[in-house]
Amino acid sequence: MTAPIAILGGGLAGLTAARVLRTAGVPFTLFEATATLGGLASSHRDAGGFSDDVGVHFVTNRLAAAIGASAQCYRVPRYGESVWLGDRSVAYPFGLIGTPRYAASAARTIAARAIRRAPIRSAADWFSARYGNAIAREIALPLIEAWSGLPAERLALSVGEQMPGSIVRSLALKAAGSVLDRAIASGYCGSLPESPHVFHVYPYDGVATFCHRLAEGLEDAVRYETPVQQIHVENDRVVGIRAGDCEIEASAVISTAPIEILASLVRGTNALERYRRFRHRPMVFVNLRLQGRNLLPDVVVWTPLPGSPIFRLTEGPLAMPTLAPEGKTTITVDIGAQIGDEYWTMSDEALAEVALEHVAPLVPDARARFLGVRTVRTPIAYPVLDIEYEADRLALEGGLPVDGLYTVGRNGEFRNILMEDVYWRTRRRMQAVIARYRDSQVLEGNVPPQPIDAAVL
Amino acid sequence: MSQGDAFSATEHAKPVIASSQALHLEQTLCSICQIDDAEPVAVGEDFEYRTSADSFLAVRCRRCGLVYLDPRPSTSDFETIYPPTYHANNFDAKHFGWVYRVRRELEKRRLRAWLTSVAEDAAIVDVGCGDGFHLDVLRAAGFQNVRGIDASERAVARARDAGLDVTHALAENDPFEPQSIDVALIIQTIEHVVAPRDFLASVQRMLRPGGLAFIVTDNTSSADRTFFAGRHWGGYHFPRHLTLFNHRTLAALSERAGFRVRSLRTMASPVNWTYSVRNLLVDYGAPAAIYEAFSLRSVPALAAFTLLDSAMVSIGRGALLHAVLERL
Repeated sequence: MTAPIAILGGGLAGLTAARVLRTAGVPFTLFEATATLGGLASSHRDAGGFSDDVGVHFVTNRLAAAIGASAQCYRVPRYGESVWLGDRSVAYPFGLIGTPRYAASAARTIAARAIRRAPIRSAADWFSARYGNAIAREIALPLIEAWSGLPAERLALSVGEQMPGSIVRSLALKAAGSVLDRAIASGYCGSLPESPHVFHVYPYDGVATFCHRLAEGLEDAVRYETPVQQIHVENDRVVGIRAGDCEIEASAVISTAPIEILASLVRGTNALERYRRFRHRPMVFVNLRLQGRNLLPDVVVWTPLPGSPIFRLTEGPLAMPTLAPEGKTTITVDIGAQIGDEYWTMSDEALAEVALEHVAPLVPDARARFLGVRTVRTPIAYPVLDIEYEADRLALEGGLPVDGLYTVGRNGEFRNILMEDVYWRTRRRMQAVIARYRDSQVLEGNVPPQPIDAAVL
Repeated sequence: MSQGDAFSATEHAKPVIASSQALHLEQTLCSICQIDDAEPVAVGEDFEYRTSADSFLAVRCRRCGLVYLDPRPSTSDFETIYPPTYHANNFDAKHFGWVYRVRRELEKRRLRAWLTSVAEDAAIVDVGCGDGFHLDVLRAAGFQNVRGIDASERAVARARDAGLDVTHALAENDPFEPQSIDVALIIQTIEHVVAPRDFLASVQRMLRPGGLAFIVTDNTSSADRTFFAGRHWGGYHFPRHLTLFNHRTLAALSERAGFRVRSLRTMASPVNWTYSVRNLLVDYGAPAAIYEAFSLRSVPALAAFTLLDSAMVSIGRGALLHAVLERL
């Protein structure tokens, strides 16, 4: 008999995989290292009526509908991004283009490229070629350096992948959003076309709602507090795992772990060695509780400051009013960190001080408004797209070189993808898992082979 | 999960739709391929009846192109999503006046044209007959041996009140003797059923060899869908149309159920055009006075869209598919 498939991790990717397998009738066990499901898609609500996700999450009506959780969501009233230029903020991206110095620089770059095409090797080249040297040097590169912890010359040009595509399309969607009175999603799902029909919604109880909904009916297959310690491979094929100090047979493994962790779990092959050098960027999210609301000029404000690891401010309650009690707000300050560095080890009070100081130019009376702080540290916030291992990273798209071993989710795929992409990409990847399982059932004589005419095309 | 007990939604946080209940949504498979490898094509709401607070997703199978609702309401939700005011329960002269009379006349001609080769005493079943509109038309057209079945008790009661021979049953429960029926009409029914493949197979069982099945259903390759595919297309009829077809998928399903496709064409209907425009207006907050101009009671809209869709039929892109199947 075919042993159940082991799913590692009960976050969005793991639960999406579990849901697809359950619908297809494929047996599995989901191993979750902690006592709760959700992973990076968890939510926390405190007694004061404030609520935080792990960083501020934005989700769409399409994802909510796909998961069957749309009735637990409300429409987000507004969404927008600005860039803080030291003395004023301008709307992203059009305000930047409307600034004469940046427009002139962009025009010069485009003209120069028309004459002589310099090779684009790194993210630094990519942003300069696309937006002009001024925007790149003063805005884009400080942001991606703080976000990744690497100099832009060492970052792969696929960092640009996550930027919204065409400016004309973004403009059209923005215009449609203001006419239709909905916060149309742009740049939140690369797997599917953008459309005025896809807009931001948010669950009353935080993004954890999505994982809870996905987990409904799967409880029998979840093993909590059971970290997977090893994955056994024989002849380049998965044969089992060690989890919760027990050896367990497994016909396949679907991992949502960071790829470098997955590589360290595998025994019996060296095929994953090259992924051990991949790194994730740890982040410290400082959630400042403040009196008042509408304190920032936009929901998201990028604060490029060369050399500073603080790069983004988000006033979540502008978009998701349920995140804070009425008349109060949260500004989330994103700090790129290294495990053990000064920000990682700083006390909450000291982090609040750092964050308040950073916010002060935008919100001069932030200290007077300060009510408290809640910090969230995660060692695996974003994959670092180091140029040094970019070729290996791109090869991951074709799957792992071990039969029966699959890697999904943002950390598993090692791509900068957001929740909706994680959902659709994981679903697609499960097709191969299901096909492999069905083949094994045919081989064992449990089911007849599929008739040739199974596909209509 | 309780909805925001400790978080009272502030004035900005308006629920997508206030106060209605959520449905019991279930994940499903493509009913042709029996797999779930689909991409989303539309996200919408129950713009017509507002029976729940949910948004719904229409997806398209990557293998065969079938469009279906996923996740979809469970059968326990059917009482909710087919409210007592549902139009198929009340399509009569009292509620629809002139529109009813014109449609009745048109349908009578249509059925006569379809059934020219069918004897007047042939055993005809309308599968999913609703309140019996087509049975009544058949009777008026001279056919005597006509019966209907429907899953809605409410619709069956209304049909019986009109003196029609209607049974509260699902085709899948084999309510008729095998091979006892000459003709089955499946008019705007197959898109509502939970398992279209089993459904069609059960119709196949009730028909005698050589018997005919006439299917009418919304066409996902229609001209009207082109303009409204992402959200407002009337054919989605969120969340009541569970499976939607084009030429290819309807032919594929029919052949798998033991039929030979005699003909498969499109036919004109103003209904999806009308509802597409109405859904758009409702979604974008237009005043009722404006969107009420697009309903099954609005003669100008129905007339104009009938003309438009007739032109679309000439290029094979009409609003409805019409299949004539022969039982093997």
